[in-house]
Amino acid sequence: MKITKSSTIILLIAFFIAFSAINLMANVREGNSLMIKIAIDSYQSGTELPIEDSSGGELFEDFEDEFGEPASSDIFDPLSGYNRLMTTFNDKLYFWLVKPVAKGYKFVVPEGGRQSVNRFFKNLSFPVRFVNNALQLKFKAAGIELSRFCINSTVGIVGFWDPAKSWLALEDYPEDFGQTLGYYGVGGGFHIVLPVLGPSNLRDSISLIPDYFLEPVSLVEPDLDELAVTSYDKLNFTSLNIGKYESIKRDAVDLYPFLRDAYKQNRKKKIEE
Amino acid sequence: MKKILYAIFFLVIFCPPAAAGKTGDVEILLKEKIDKVLLVLRDKKIDKVKRNKNILEIVDPIFDFELMAKLSLGKKHWPGLNGNERNEYLELFIKRMKESYLEKLDLYEDEDMLYDEPKAVGSKVHMKTYLASKDNKLEMLYKFYQSGNSWKVYDVEIEGVSIIQTYRSQFDGVLRDGTVQDLIAKLKRPGEFNGIEVKK
Repeated sequence: MKITKSSTIILLIAFFIAFSAINLMANVREGNSLMIKIAIDSYQSGTELPIEDSSGGELFEDFEDEFGEPASSDIFDPLSGYNRLMTTFNDKLYFWLVKPVAKGYKFVVPEGGRQSVNRFFKNLSFPVRFVNNALQLKFKAAGIELSRFCINSTVGIVGFWDPAKSWLALEDYPEDFGQTLGYYGVGGGFHIVLPVLGPSNLRDSISLIPDYFLEPVSLVEPDLDELAVTSYDKLNFTSLNIGKYESIKRDAVDLYPFLRDAYKQNRKKKIEE
Repeated sequence: MKKILYAIFFLVIFCPPAAAGKTGDVEILLKEKIDKVLLVLRDKKIDKVKRNKNILEIVDPIFDFELMAKLSLGKKHWPGLNGNERNEYLELFIKRMKESYLEKLDLYEDEDMLYDEPKAVGSKVHMKTYLASKDNKLEMLYKFYQSGNSWKVYDVEIEGVSIIQTYRSQFDGVLRDGTVQDLIAKLKRPGEFNGIEVKK
């Protein structure tokens, strides 16, 4: 009994220290961004010639470097046959099952409630973000994630609200194990379209395993209940994002290579951040 | 004396604007356009056809759709199109871009617009904007180049995904296996929207 008491006190002290450290860091962060704002714009445009003719050859040269060779010409895509099939499958699954169900759910549950549920699940997956930030040596982000978790789990009532963001302007720092591997230079490998989950690649698919064990939802027993909880999370998320996939899809001339390419660019950005 | 006057004359005429002007111009331009678009979007009384017309009138001068079309084919494919194909392709692509842009606006739900300071990248200027709702933040990067005296958008990145880049690899894929006519046929169909898919 004594031991639990003293360990509780130690834990509280630890939290207190973490909080004060975070506050300090948050201040520093604000200061930094101000400095950046001031420092930006030191560029001199003296050497640039304006582009005059939009049909001229030089114009292409000027942009061609930026975009490089089209990604599809030499892409290594051994699973393309399967990937195409799975893209169509996921697409149908969305339009025929997930979307109608999500729409029904959306009709019944008001938006505020669904947003709270979304925040609850997001708060719950804190270990994934915390560990992956720490693994990438992003200790400031990890610290902010920790304080977000402490604040939102208590003041925010088990994460249904997000006072850390709305009151203290502490933003979240989503990171996953795929990004961690990418951070250390591991390439994505070939593209894999996962059933239900959608576009991924070799690295990110394997990375789902360690991240899964960091998800508290993985502790739910039996497995069928766990599946139900996860499905509910996804359904709730979908209900808040109806129309987004449709809008993205609108830009596709050919859906599979479009999603493959978009996934690659988006992951690249996330890893670089 | 005359020489000095000439020198001053040339300096005044050909000197590029100061650094602050470059990114500053883009910032003022984009903010002005977005503010105008938001004003139209927030007007719930206006009907959709008129709304779309108004919005296109606002943004058309800063989007270089023709350049976007050319860049999407790139140096590799654009020169290979003949006159008719070029016209047809340009018309279809530009129509598609405009429709896609307007459709994205339908998803707007009174989110706030946030801006970062624009950044000079070589001769171009990139400006990040964020569409921020209570729980979400969508990053949109507008890429400008200088066209004559004005700045125009030649690409937009949404969460790191460049519109031009995705078109480039898709078009390259289509043209590797097929002809320009195949590409034009694909552009003609109403997009893979609402699950309507025309499979080969």
